[in-house]
Amino acid sequence: MNKDKIFKLAKGFRGRAKNCIRVARERVEKALQYAYRDRRNKKRDMRGLWIQRINAGTRIHGVKYGQFMHGLNTENIQLNRKVLSEIAMHEPYSFKALVDVAKNVFQKQCKPKQLLVQEKTVV
Amino acid sequence: MRLGRLASTIAIHIRGKDLPTYTPSVDMGAFVIVVNAEKIAVTGKKRYQKLYRRHSGRPGGMKVETFDQLQQRIPERIVEHAVRGMLPKGRLGRRLFTKLKVYKGPEHPHAAQKPVPLPISDKRIMLDK
Repeated sequence: MNKDKIFKLAKGFRGRAKNCIRVARERVEKALQYAYRDRRNKKRDMRGLWIQRINAGTRIHGVKYGQFMHGLNTENIQLNRKVLSEIAMHEPYSFKALVDVAKNVFQKQCKPKQLLVQEKTVV
Repeated sequence: MRLGRLASTIAIHIRGKDLPTYTPSVDMGAFVIVVNAEKIAVTGKKRYQKLYRRHSGRPGGMKVETFDQLQQRIPERIVEHAVRGMLPKGRLGRRLFTKLKVYKGPEHPHAAQKPVPLPISDKRIMLDK
């Protein structure tokens, strides 16, 4: 009974691991351990992939990922990275609008510094 | 054009990391054609000190050349060596490497593919110019 379950899980394995119970039992145990670990790793990997995609999408418009996310956070836009990467892939014009929002935040932050410089030159 | 800076930009475009549809398991990058490969430059004393090694597999079969010797012999190999070190190693990396086409001199046989000039957004390269 247990053997049947093991062989069912061992489909597609290499060599004797799919046919011989002693080898298959070890490989199936390992496979289930990897599956457990990778269900948690998959969430991490996907987030990294979304970040890479957003980075590529923003750099087309001359903005980097860090500056972009800082701009969105300052404007309190709560879109998560998954949605942002989907927008970057399939809706380029909407994504450009978001990038412009982030750029505006930077321009607003730069203005106070320019005023300080002007005061010094007057004195 | 500095060797490493050029190779880095090429590798990014071959791999497809400049596109928002980037997928690491799929070959979705662009083909890159490099011309005038013999004009590549390196700074400092690297021209006479940078070594390119290869081994024939037999004992005592290590062959060493300097940068300028290799540039006189086969200049395309310098760019290929640099880009290959920057691409992923593995089956997909080898497939990506075949997308790089390097030529000595200003001519290349791919006019039928209507190549577009590579957009360079690396600050270090822009500052050099």
